[in-house]
Amino acid sequence: MNRLQHFIRAVILAAFAIFFVSLHYSGDIMKYINPKYDIFSKIAAILFIVFFIIQIFRIWENPQNQHEHCPPGCTHDHGYSASLPKKVLSYFILVFPLLTGFAFAPTVLNSSIAENKGTILPQANNAAEKEKAVDDPTISNNQYIDPSIQNHETAQPRYHILSTEEYDSEIQKLKESEVIVMEDTIYEPYYGEINMNLSEYIGRKIKVVGFVYREEGLADNQLVISRFLISHCIADASIVGFLSEFPEAKDLKQDTWIEMEGIIEATTYNGVEIPIIKPENWKQIEQPSIPYIYPILQKVE
Amino acid sequence: MIRLIQSYLIDFTCIVAIAVVIYIISMTQIVGDTWSIHVPDSFLQLNTIFLSIIIEAIPFVLIGVLIAGFIQIFVTEDHIRRLLPKNRILAVAMSCVVGALFPACECGIVPIVRRLVSKGVPIYAAVGFLLTGPLINPIVILSTYMAFGNDFKMAGLRMGVGFIIAFVIAVITSFLFKTNQLKHSVEDFQSIASVTTKKISFSEKIMGMLKHSIDEFFDMGKYLIIGALFAAFIQTYVSAKSLLVFGDGIVGSTGIMMGLAYFLSLCSEADAFIGASFRNLFPSSAILAFLVFGPMIDLKNTIMLISAFKAKFVFVLLFLITSVVFLSTIFINFL
Repeated sequence: MNRLQHFIRAVILAAFAIFFVSLHYSGDIMKYINPKYDIFSKIAAILFIVFFIIQIFRIWENPQNQHEHCPPGCTHDHGYSASLPKKVLSYFILVFPLLTGFAFAPTVLNSSIAENKGTILPQANNAAEKEKAVDDPTISNNQYIDPSIQNHETAQPRYHILSTEEYDSEIQKLKESEVIVMEDTIYEPYYGEINMNLSEYIGRKIKVVGFVYREEGLADNQLVISRFLISHCIADASIVGFLSEFPEAKDLKQDTWIEMEGIIEATTYNGVEIPIIKPENWKQIEQPSIPYIYPILQKVE
Repeated sequence: MIRLIQSYLIDFTCIVAIAVVIYIISMTQIVGDTWSIHVPDSFLQLNTIFLSIIIEAIPFVLIGVLIAGFIQIFVTEDHIRRLLPKNRILAVAMSCVVGALFPACECGIVPIVRRLVSKGVPIYAAVGFLLTGPLINPIVILSTYMAFGNDFKMAGLRMGVGFIIAFVIAVITSFLFKTNQLKHSVEDFQSIASVTTKKISFSEKIMGMLKHSIDEFFDMGKYLIIGALFAAFIQTYVSAKSLLVFGDGIVGSTGIMMGLAYFLSLCSEADAFIGASFRNLFPSSAILAFLVFGPMIDLKNTIMLISAFKAKFVFVLLFLITSVVFLSTIFINFL
C-alpha cells in the first residue's frame, strides 16, 4: 500500500512538473501571471522535477527505513495512515487543478469580472450628489474605420524594469510629445500621472487602446476604454481606463477592443474632476495578444 | 548485480510514472475539448482565476516547504532554546522583527510556522512571525508605494501600523494559549526522537530534508487548492459593490474592505493595486484595514492553518486579528 502511495505521489509530482513546463513552453503562462515573475514558476518546475526524481527512489525504498529521515521531533504521519476515502479525496483535490488546467485553455478576463472589481470612476457617496457629466455631445466628429485595415503588431512580452533616469525620461516624453501614446509598457505610470495632474494635460492629444466597459451609472453615449492591470497574477487584476463620450458608444458591445485618438478634457463625475477623451477618430481592433498591462517597477538605487 | 536490477527498476518506474501522466493529460485534453463548448464562460473565467492563484502561489509554497524541511533537519530544539529570549514580550518583539526581515508570503509561511512550533518555538512568538512575515518585506513596501501614486504615506502606514498590530496580537496570544496548539501532538514522536542520535552524513541530511519537503507539500497543497478555489469563486460571482449594502459609513466601509481582503485571498505582494482601486469608494483608513488585514490572514491561509493547528486556536486567532485590525484602523480614522 505504501509503495502504491509513493507511486501516486510521484505521478502527481510529475504531472505538476509537466504542467509548469508546458505552460512556459506554450507561452500560456502569460495568461495567468505577470511575466515579470515567471522566474518563480520556472523555479517551481525545476523543484517539481527534483521532487519527482526523489519520490521515484522512495517507491522501492526498504519499508523499514521509511521513517529514517525523521530526526527528533517529527510530528506528522505524512497522511500515510489516513483512511482510504480520506486519502482518495486528498489526492483528488491535488489532481483537480491539473485536470482543469489541462482540459480548459485559459481565457481572457472580461467586463463581467471588471464589474466585481473596484471602480475606475469616482462613485457618488449619496444619490443626491449624483450629477451627470455635462458636455456637448455634438462636437465629436469621429469616423468609423474598417477594422480589417488595422494592423496591430503582435507584441513581445511587455514588461519593464526602469532605472530612475529612464523613468524620468519617459515621464518627460509624456510632458513634451505631440501625441501621448499610451503604450502598454508605459501605460500605468502615464495613467497615474495624467490622473494626478490633470490640468497640465487638458487639450493634449492622446492615443489609447482598450476594451469597452460600461460602468454602472454611465450615460448611454459614454463608455470606459479599459485595461486590466496585473501586478502579480490575474486574480489580483485591477481595472483602469479612460472615460470617453461619443454618440456611437451606445452601439458598441461590452468587451469590444477599440483604438482611439482624441483630446483629453476634464469633466466632473460625481463631483470629482476626471479626464475624459473626446475622440477624433477611433476604430475597432482585435484583442491584442497580450491583453493585460503591468505596473512598472522602478529600480531602487 | 542487485544494484543493476535496482537501477533498472527505478528507470522502469520512472517511465511508467511519466507514461501514466501523459496518458491522463491527453485524456483530459480530449474530454476538455469536447466539453469546453458546453461550459459557460463564467466557469472558464473562474477556472483561469483559480489556476492563476495556484500558479502564483505554488512556487512560494514550494520554497516554504523547503525551508520547513530545512528547519526539520538542521535546526534543533537546542538552537531555538538558546536563541529565543526567555522573556515573553522580548520573544514576541524578536519574532516580529525576524518576520519583518524574512521575505515570505502568507501561503509559504504556514508550513514554516508549523515546523518552528513543533521544534519548540512558543506559539505567541510563532504568531508574531506569522503576522509580520507576509506583511512587511521589500516587495510589499515597493508595490504599495507604487500603487498609491509613488506616495510613501500609505506604504509607511501599512508597515508601521501593521507591525504594532502584529505585536499586540502576539502579546494577547501569549496570555491566552500556553501549549503549542498543534493538531498532532509532539509527544508521539518524542520517544523515538531520543533514540535516533546516530550520526547522519550531510548528503543524507539533504536527502532527508527534500523527502520531508515533499511530504509537507502533499500535506499543505490540498488546502492551498481548496482556498484558491473558494477565492476564485468569490471573485467570479460576487461583486465588490454588492458589499455596499453593509453601509458606507466608516464602520461599514472598514468592514467591507476587511471582508474583501479575507475572501479575495490575494498575495500580499500583489494586493496593493487592488486596494488602491478602491480609493474612489472608501476612506483611506478602510483601505489601510484592507492592506493590513489581508496579509495577516485570509481565507486561503485560514484553511492552511486549520490543517496545522487546532481549529479552536485558529478561530480565536482569526477573531483577534479581525477585532484588533478593525478597532485600530477606526481609531486611526479619528486621529
